[in-house]
Amino acid sequence: MSPPGPPFGRVLIANRGEIAVRIIRACHELGMEAVAVYSDADAGAMHVRMADHAVRLGPPPPADSYLRIDVIVEAALAIGADAIHPGYGFLSERAAFARAIETAGLVFVGPPSAVIEALGDKVRARAIARSVGVEGVPGTLEPVAVDRPDQVAVIVAEAERIGFPLLVKAAAGGGGRGMRRVARAAELPAALAAGSAEALSAFGDGSVFLEREVRPARHIEVQLLGDTMGTIVAIGERDCSSQRRHQKLIEEAPAPGLTIAERRHLHELAVRVAVAGGLQNAATAEFLRDADGVFHFLEVNTRLQVEHGVTELVSGLDIVGEQFWLAAGQPLSKAARAAAERAAEPASHAIEVRLAAEDPARDFAPGPGRIGRWVMPAGPGVRVDTGLETGDRVPPDYDNLVAKVMVHAVDRPAAIDRLRRALDETEIAGIQTTLPFDRFVVRHEAFRAGDLSIEWVAEAWDGPAEQARYAAAAGEAAARWVADGVADEAAGGSARAAVGPAAAGTAPAVPAIVESPWAIAAREDATDRWPG
Amino acid sequence: MTRFRITDRSDDAVVIELDPSELPSATPAPPGERPIVRPAARPSATRGRTAVEVVIGGWRFDLEVEDARLADLRQRATASAEAASHHGPTEVRAIIPGRVVSVAVEAGDTVAAGQRLLAVEAMKMENELRSPRAGTVERVAAAVGQTVELGDALVVIR
Repeated sequence: MSPPGPPFGRVLIANRGEIAVRIIRACHELGMEAVAVYSDADAGAMHVRMADHAVRLGPPPPADSYLRIDVIVEAALAIGADAIHPGYGFLSERAAFARAIETAGLVFVGPPSAVIEALGDKVRARAIARSVGVEGVPGTLEPVAVDRPDQVAVIVAEAERIGFPLLVKAAAGGGGRGMRRVARAAELPAALAAGSAEALSAFGDGSVFLEREVRPARHIEVQLLGDTMGTIVAIGERDCSSQRRHQKLIEEAPAPGLTIAERRHLHELAVRVAVAGGLQNAATAEFLRDADGVFHFLEVNTRLQVEHGVTELVSGLDIVGEQFWLAAGQPLSKAARAAAERAAEPASHAIEVRLAAEDPARDFAPGPGRIGRWVMPAGPGVRVDTGLETGDRVPPDYDNLVAKVMVHAVDRPAAIDRLRRALDETEIAGIQTTLPFDRFVVRHEAFRAGDLSIEWVAEAWDGPAEQARYAAAAGEAAARWVADGVADEAAGGSARAAVGPAAAGTAPAVPAIVESPWAIAAREDATDRWPG
Repeated sequence: MTRFRITDRSDDAVVIELDPSELPSATPAPPGERPIVRPAARPSATRGRTAVEVVIGGWRFDLEVEDARLADLRQRATASAEAASHHGPTEVRAIIPGRVVSVAVEAGDTVAAGQRLLAVEAMKMENELRSPRAGTVERVAAAVGQTVELGDALVVIR
């Protein structure tokens, strides 16, 4: 039973894109007003259009807009917001942001700043986990002294103890930034310098630590919710093993192949770490599961995850909605407690793929641009979270995620069939996306068999060859389309004109379009609906 | 009826050459692989060519369709002109839109083929531009922090 009235009156969402849209939807469902913020690149974006109010932050670069703590907090105060939801990325894991909001007398929808400081720092989080008997991946518990040339021998000795190959990782970061793989001791000094420099530029903190590379490994994370009274529950786990360059590609819930006992054990480990760290609101504890089935604690993300939707589908819980109630000081809802009780014995399966504006034939190079056609899948068991539609621009300044396609079905095989169907319905023109790659993965035997070990996808995927398979068919379709246009012309009465010998009178030999906007609009209408 | 030559707009390579009237009538493709055909947002720069965007299996093809006989004629006409211009300066252009994050060379520098010239960042990823050949940097047209569009000339090498 939810208490009467919404948790807040007006909420500012300090984010953009699909996650801002997702949070605005939660606000509207709870009867709260949503305030969007935007950079000049996003002035006409969907999250701005959907919100009840919108505040301009500044020019497109994130440092001038979505990372401006001062401007965002001022905007919230000026417009009378009671709470700020940070989404993911940008300022979501900056303790300084949470603290600025707390100091301004507003509510940060997430863990308190002190908890972000403790659990959000990977090195500190590992120490907290170890203090309650949850072992991490073998590695250093202290940041490495990269700036001390006299310590090189000590660092190398430490690395030998951990064992090669190992990873240099940024204490403050994620997404593979600041990360370096080191196969031999000789490579270590260079990797430390490079990793630290990259971490400093990406996160403003050059601290790095060492960690053994666990391979093959599965990447499994546990969704946590906690109230201000200290009750913390696990809502279920997600498997995010399918990654490319440490960016997650496909996420599913529950993790395939775990027994109920293993699931309970994993959830208990996550809750234990969260309790030790004093977690409130929502967070995710990440683990690696090695080939022997042992879970190694990795880190805690003290925010909403990109892939929270698959847990929502399986648990039936609105995680963003719960975040608002928890931020307002309510105890864990009945629904959340019930979901936690069912978490080890899930009754359905959900899978998410991330569609990104990247070219899978050109080594996943980012490709911003304007969307010419945008048809997202629908129908039974399909959920799409996006902040884009036809005519929108994907700006080069931000993350290249364009949509999250999620499916929900009774079990994993049915979910894979549904995902295949959903991806086949998806039509995007104007920009190249990772859709061909996702269609490939969902059809791959290894994926269906549940082989999710990190990086198999990179080995199996040959982008240029996949693209080449369709080139002839594409050329054929283009030729048919132009030929049909010529036929229209010969019959008379279209807005197109022929150039060259056609002017002489007989059937036009040289097809060409006079690019009048009306002609284009009319053709788009006609050809879009009835593709060759 | 008419033989068409279809080229890829990114590299002007011939994708296929065919006469659509000789094609069998279109057979239904499986779901997800039915072509979406649209006029390209950017018209062709070449007179007589039609720019077409085709999406099939999620792959986006930027194509130009032209009468094959006309294409041959034009090719013959331009071949000699092109041969003459091959010894001139080489322009290194932006292959993605984004922001210049570092510039490693300046005018007058001698560069080797494959040497790093500058880096452009887009969508959190850094993309290095390298010299396509050895030579001397004649001009650097990009500065750190500058936003560049696809195809902008950034460095000229002679």
